[in-house]
Amino acid sequence: MGHYVPILILAALATVFAVFSIIAGALAGPKRWNRAKLESYECGIEPTRQPAGIRFPVKYYLTAMLFIIFDIEIIFLYPWAVYFDKLGVFGLVEMVTFIATVLVAYVYVWRRGGLEWD
Amino acid sequence: MTGSVAAITHTIAAPSIEWSLLSPLVLVFAAATVGVLVEAFAPRDLRRALHIAISLGGLAGAFVLTIVVAHSHIFAGGKPGVVAAVGAVAVDKPTLFIQGTILVLAFVSVLLIAESSHDAFAAQAAAVPGSAAEREGLLAGLTHTEVYPLTLFSVGGMLLFPAANDLLTMFIALEVLSLPLYLLCGLARRRRLLSQEAAMKYFLLGAFSSAFFLFGVAMLYGYSGSVQLAAIATAAQSGVGSATLLYAGIALLGIGLLFKIGAIPFANWKPDVYQGSPTPVTALMASCTLVSAFGALLRVFYVAFGQLTWDWRPVMWGVAILTMLVGSIVAITQTDVKRLLAYSSIAQAGYVLTGVIAANTAGLSGSMFYLAAYGIATIGAFAIVTLVRDQTGEAAHLSSWAGLGKRSPLVAGLFALFLITFAGIPLTSGFTSKFAVFRAAIQGGALPLVIIGVISSAILAFPYVRVIVLMFFSDPAPDGPVVVRPSGFTSAAVAVGAAATLVLGIIPQPLLNIANHAASHLFVR
Amino acid sequence: MVTPAHFIALAVILFVIGAVGVLVRRNAIVVFMCVELMLNAANLAFVTFARMHGNLDGQIIAFFVMVVAAAEVVVGLAILTSIFRARRSASVDDANLMKY
Repeated sequence: MGHYVPILILAALATVFAVFSIIAGALAGPKRWNRAKLESYECGIEPTRQPAGIRFPVKYYLTAMLFIIFDIEIIFLYPWAVYFDKLGVFGLVEMVTFIATVLVAYVYVWRRGGLEWD
Repeated sequence: MTGSVAAITHTIAAPSIEWSLLSPLVLVFAAATVGVLVEAFAPRDLRRALHIAISLGGLAGAFVLTIVVAHSHIFAGGKPGVVAAVGAVAVDKPTLFIQGTILVLAFVSVLLIAESSHDAFAAQAAAVPGSAAEREGLLAGLTHTEVYPLTLFSVGGMLLFPAANDLLTMFIALEVLSLPLYLLCGLARRRRLLSQEAAMKYFLLGAFSSAFFLFGVAMLYGYSGSVQLAAIATAAQSGVGSATLLYAGIALLGIGLLFKIGAIPFANWKPDVYQGSPTPVTALMASCTLVSAFGALLRVFYVAFGQLTWDWRPVMWGVAILTMLVGSIVAITQTDVKRLLAYSSIAQAGYVLTGVIAANTAGLSGSMFYLAAYGIATIGAFAIVTLVRDQTGEAAHLSSWAGLGKRSPLVAGLFALFLITFAGIPLTSGFTSKFAVFRAAIQGGALPLVIIGVISSAILAFPYVRVIVLMFFSDPAPDGPVVVRPSGFTSAAVAVGAAATLVLGIIPQPLLNIANHAASHLFVR
Repeated sequence: MVTPAHFIALAVILFVIGAVGVLVRRNAIVVFMCVELMLNAANLAFVTFARMHGNLDGQIIAFFVMVVAAAEVVVGLAILTSIFRARRSASVDDANLMKY
């Protein structure tokens, strides 16, 4: 249990800070309401109501899929990183091989225009 | 992998990988990776030639390496083999036989994929069928050369699947072999809606079945505390632990494996996927995937559940009977040649299952011989299907095959040869291989199963004979399909298929000896 | 008191919900999400069993399953979007060109 004490302290500090910021902002900040402030934030563009079942361009899916597949590969780095010193050269070579193969996929995506947003 | 993790929790035993024993696998995956780089960097007009050289070279090299491993020191003194890569991969003679078979079949399938005179693959899979973008791609002469690395990745998974000594490696191999196949199914150049539909059905049902497989692995892990096949066998033998977990695990794992084989309650994907996919890909699935999945099924049920034969055998009996009967009966009603071959493939899977049920060395060697003989013949049959064409592409409907024997006696004759071997007529490989598995099943005490198998073969002969009669004794329609002149690739595939069918039918002993020798020690644990 | 057995029960329930969902839902995307639910149910079972057996294998397996699931998403969504663009429908009932 002793190992988790620093994490608990960190979590408590984070919670206290978040709660304090919200409450302090609400109490100390000036309150001058106007119409534009109440609207949803859309990067300065006038918000427009869109029909139900709106479909996104397929580019979003492409980017999202590329993100997911490269992002999830990182998962294998965690166990390796934890035992990095004990796995030694063998672990390092394996991990370099692994990253090199992921890189091959990345190079393919990049060369074939998968990263271009035209 | 799992062994290394267990070791890490206590003291670090430096993990090691026996690269020389795994060299066939590594070579295929390396060739696939190089293929991806070719896609990335090579100019478009060079790609196809490079891919063909890399694919065929990689597969042939891996076959040579497999033979080298089979003659290496690990088998010295009659040892059954070793477990490599910290318990993840088994290197034993049955596995090497199955891997060698897969490599030969994949080589011949790649010959079909490489055929250029009538391209089977889409110009741009991303272009909507019937759109202007699609026409542009076709006019520009584009084609998806990604097919080659995808095939190699899939073949790499197929090589690992029957060799996996723990269930996690087996699950990864299952996915590595399946995911590229899902994509390959959707890449047909013609009838693209059909092809996409096949890809979707295969994907959804395949993902569904692999989820069953995975939950089965979880149950067996819960039962024995390990995913190593040998550890599960030991736990099952000692009889400690929850029997519910064990039987749930066996059932769920069995569903996952029987789906890949296409045994009857789980085979409804097979006709649709075989029909919709590009025919060279269908040939790859009908041969290599079947061999690989049976290899994995044999290993799991012989090694992990070898002590529980009396528990799984009755269920397997039911599956085999259903598969043989339903496959052959439904084949009679088919009017599409690829669907006919799909139902034929289902029935053939049932015959191989009788060899699995025998659960002895004869069953193992018979199954392996059957798979090799059937695989090579089925590639030949699908190769013929790619040659008979009309304006819309392949002439799939059987009625348009009428009178083919009068127009092109050679092609019709070769197709008749493949149908005869599927029916199991003597002097073809089909007879020898059926004889081998049925004899093993009788030795294993499964006589009723053999009787049903013979009845099913007789039923299955009917649609074949009908096709042969149609080809040779009907008059050709005036606007019927023509047989295109193939390039050397398809001709070679057909020739290999036909030669193997005759040789294994007339002098089967050399290959049977190899299969018997490979099976003599069963699987390493 | 929550015991590991409760987690196994939850995993089985999730798995069954996923399996039933695959069989009854008609939208291909939803069917696929149900498959993902089944994979995650298996992950929950793996992690719980790892806890019960006191070894780490199950946790490592969960990592591999997550990666496989992501790869499945990438391949699957590519197939499903190509079908959707061709037909403007993601219903598995509309995919019926091959009826014998």
